[in-house]
Amino acid sequence: MQVFRTVIVAATLVAVGCTGGDDDGPPPPVPSDIFAPMGEVAPYATADQKATFLRGREVAERRLTPHEGLGPDFNVVFCAACHEKPVTGGSAPRYRNFLLVGQQLSDGSFTPTGKNGVQTGYLLGKDARSPTDATTNVTATRNGIPFFGVGLLAELPDESILAHADPDDLDGDGISGKPNYDRGFVGRFGRKSQTVSIEGFIRGPLFNHLGLTTVPLSEAKKAALPVPSAASTTNVRALGLQYGTTGHGQAAAPDEPTEDDDGVPDPELSEDDLFDLVSFAMLLAPPAPDALDASGERGKQAFADMGCDGCHVPTLVSPRGSIPVYSDLLLHDMGEALADGVIMKEATGSEFRTQPLWGLAATGPYLHDGRADTIDEAIRLHGGEATKARTAYSSAPEGTKTDLLAFLESLGGRDLASGGLLAPDAPIPAVGEYGGPVAALSEADTERYRRGRELFDRDTPIAEGLGPRFNGDSCRACHFEPTIGGAGPLGLNVVRHGFIENGVFREPDMGTMAHRLATDVAARPPAEEGATVFELRQTPALYGLGLIDKIPDAAIVALEDPNDIDGDGIAGIARRLPDGRVGKLGWKAGVPSLADFTRDAMSNELGVTVPDDGTSIFGFATDDDDRADPEMSAADLDDVTFFMQQLAPPPRKMLGDPMVARGEATFETIGCVACHVSRLMDEDGEPVTLYSDLLLHDVASTDAMGIEDGPATIRHFRTPPLWGLGETAPYMHDGQATTIEEAIAVHEGEADAVRAAYEQLGATEREELLVFLRSL
Amino acid sequence: MRRAALYLGLLLTACHGSGDDGDDGSTHTATWTEAFDAEADGWLLSVWGPSSSDQWIAGGTPDSGKLLRYDGTNATAVTLPADTPLLNWSFGFGANDVYVVGNEGTVLHWDGAAFTVEETNTDQNLWGVWGASADDVWAVGGNGRAEGQLTLLRRRNGTWTSTTPPPLMRSNVFALFKVWGTSADNVYAVGQRGTVLHFDGTAWTEELVGTSDDLIALWGTGPDRIAVVGGRNNGQIAVWDGSAWNHASLAPLPGLNGVWMRDPSVVHVAGVTGTLATIDFDSLEYTDASVIGEGRDFHAVFGHEGGLTTVGGNFLQAQGPYRGIAYERPLLQGE
Repeated sequence: MQVFRTVIVAATLVAVGCTGGDDDGPPPPVPSDIFAPMGEVAPYATADQKATFLRGREVAERRLTPHEGLGPDFNVVFCAACHEKPVTGGSAPRYRNFLLVGQQLSDGSFTPTGKNGVQTGYLLGKDARSPTDATTNVTATRNGIPFFGVGLLAELPDESILAHADPDDLDGDGISGKPNYDRGFVGRFGRKSQTVSIEGFIRGPLFNHLGLTTVPLSEAKKAALPVPSAASTTNVRALGLQYGTTGHGQAAAPDEPTEDDDGVPDPELSEDDLFDLVSFAMLLAPPAPDALDASGERGKQAFADMGCDGCHVPTLVSPRGSIPVYSDLLLHDMGEALADGVIMKEATGSEFRTQPLWGLAATGPYLHDGRADTIDEAIRLHGGEATKARTAYSSAPEGTKTDLLAFLESLGGRDLASGGLLAPDAPIPAVGEYGGPVAALSEADTERYRRGRELFDRDTPIAEGLGPRFNGDSCRACHFEPTIGGAGPLGLNVVRHGFIENGVFREPDMGTMAHRLATDVAARPPAEEGATVFELRQTPALYGLGLIDKIPDAAIVALEDPNDIDGDGIAGIARRLPDGRVGKLGWKAGVPSLADFTRDAMSNELGVTVPDDGTSIFGFATDDDDRADPEMSAADLDDVTFFMQQLAPPPRKMLGDPMVARGEATFETIGCVACHVSRLMDEDGEPVTLYSDLLLHDVASTDAMGIEDGPATIRHFRTPPLWGLGETAPYMHDGQATTIEEAIAVHEGEADAVRAAYEQLGATEREELLVFLRSL
Repeated sequence: MRRAALYLGLLLTACHGSGDDGDDGSTHTATWTEAFDAEADGWLLSVWGPSSSDQWIAGGTPDSGKLLRYDGTNATAVTLPADTPLLNWSFGFGANDVYVVGNEGTVLHWDGAAFTVEETNTDQNLWGVWGASADDVWAVGGNGRAEGQLTLLRRRNGTWTSTTPPPLMRSNVFALFKVWGTSADNVYAVGQRGTVLHFDGTAWTEELVGTSDDLIALWGTGPDRIAVVGGRNNGQIAVWDGSAWNHASLAPLPGLNGVWMRDPSVVHVAGVTGTLATIDFDSLEYTDASVIGEGRDFHAVFGHEGGLTTVGGNFLQAQGPYRGIAYERPLLQGE
């Protein structure tokens, strides 16, 4: 007996029954002003709200730096990182998956470990990689959850959700539907409906994933939100109706300010920014469903006939009308195969909220941990209460399946669906622009460039070889700032690790790479136990690599002075590889050519095996997943390489500007050019103005702890090209420098004298130098 | 999937009554009424007293502590030592032997004539205090954010000393919130992430009670009738019946902060968003839940010969103005 629960349900239902609810006659119509293209504001928003929405989107896309409060531990550097597919506010490809961690004890209780239950990946400072708590015995993967339409969900009265609840399956249809609760309100957000508060659903991740501290919105601010959320305006709740019968259960935001000790004053996000961000989420419209063709109509009927609508309830009734969410927002047991062991409030380890289906076509991968690459796969992975519906689907004729999938894809967003993050019709930028080719291409090469770019952008499915361990699921995953092919932010740094014992570096048996993610959704890829050093590797931009590829080894070797014979304090070592070639690419100059770079990255970063061409020492021909090797064809490999070969170097800015010219003169005068050689000649005798000698130099601090790689000691790094510098922050091999000034300041070793000279510059000369560097 | 028949049945039930008039088996209770206007008193976090006419209500704001003495009609502020921070809890052995604990390691002792600020050698916030005798008092606390903050203090021979907690199976426990017991060798402390510790007169041991939600308060009527409540979001209760811990999540009942018992079978609780309820000790089912106080949160409930008093405020809001609430109702027979 749950006396009061019965009363609660009765009391909440009476509000519907006595005031006109969704069982009193036909349901209200679907409002016409709730839909917009994905990423756009709800049409019903006021002018002020639309302005707030735009500001909030800017906050969501803002790249945060340690100076602004990022860290000390974090996973990503901006909100939209996990909500980017197909546009800001959406879901995320698998490379943005994150891990939940906890400790299950013998009494069945589940204690979050890590950072409030989140396994962060990165630590600012020398530790670099967040450790895994020793007590963690449950690890689960989460895929970014789309925010489209969450404001409409917030407006749903509790009774609209409770009307579908049947926690004890009293009607015997095998489908229960259990509400989760949050301070007396019916939960509706999160994979387990664990919260009722959009503010809470934002403040939590801001802290857990970005390390960004906040103070809860004031009552006045909450009251001014698009879905008013102050206590005085919050009156629909499962407990009692003392405050009225309509309103929005939004009062359950975590009330404690978040704090950290990173040296940046708390709160690190202003109340105005938080207000805009929450407003943005609340106003993010769901996409309009497509008009159904005959196949879609048949699919819609099949959806009902198979019982999919038992959980994916087509509409819930809000004060605006019938909201076509295709979810009951209730918890359902999805079976052991999908269970993640994470207990959230009333949700057990195998219970999950029915995911809303609007925008389905453009927001894969699917399921809570993104294990399904396609809608078809997602359906087939349904278990538990959905077994009957799944069986109906899997045993249906192929035509019926096709119809059902057509219906599901019609639920909005199909026009933005692509294999990656590039829009299906994304144009190729002009020659010489960021993301464009270095020179005009023939029609055939344009098509090859487009195909290479598509492969570069494409999220690699597990079925096609992703993993078993990976850092990204596409090339674009790490190379996208400011355009595809560019650099990557701190939140995508690669972690390398090893042992330094008595001053001697030792490589782990597993290699130096400590991957971020794995296709095994219940485990964090391990680092070798006892490793004493972790080092981050920032993602460099790939612009202009095709030109560097054409620089002959001899041009690089000609510049080396490993023993500093000329006595200028600057050595420079050409990295000679076992096959005799000279390394040109990578922070330790470990890769001799772009083709090798592609092979190496596909294998090491994506876990994709490549064809054994009999010559290259880069890339893996086999791995230990169950996909047939090679997992990438030679043709695809060539096309990706072609795209990178043709990718133009960043366009110079302010050419002819006297300030730039004076800055370049200073650049030469103080000796930057000793390593950042302005140009090397390619094999055709054409100059490549990369501002690098491609040699290894000792430029790290004397107490640096890092990875040794062949002749590149812990403190040796290849001189990175400087083109595109102004658009490709952060800087240095580990991304420790947020600004160019900071990057210069941390140069040591061979660069001591040059750095000292820079520090002696007057303000004007410094500014000119920086203007020059930003112009590259 | 709930179908229309069930829906309509509940609808009829609801339309014919408010739910407390008999057919659900619930007990009739007296009505809660405002004890006094606490709008300007800041947060009221604790109520304890030797009688209905001498109730000590502690609280304040994030910046300063406040202590009221409520005589059943009027609440009067007590002059506190200078710079007293927010006060979180109180307990006494009589009107002339009262302890009040608060932020920054604060312990105040009232001897009937004056307050003494007692040295605790901790700057951690103290959330709970209880004693088996005048010379055996425990205080617990911890700021709850980092390793080493969990605080367990004992006062013997007039001196507070820190007690090292046992190694815990449960992770990330950095605070204890309340302490209570039935004798010097039967003391319980509850805290973060479902933590329950038991002291048998010699050592503290960890007990697992079936939840990892924060456990905020505990009370009992004897060594075999002890109730622990908590939950930040959804109400949690765990009871010790002398042989085992029994636990229940009480959702949709919101999180609970305060608990008090007189009858061994009736657990009076107070919680967030104005929640007040009684829970059957044996079935762990709640009845007579109500929501009052315009959404403010209750932090404590305490009983005396005349009835129940519950206090709280908007203490979950980070910014002011800081408001309090105080309600009371008679205790009925069998409660």
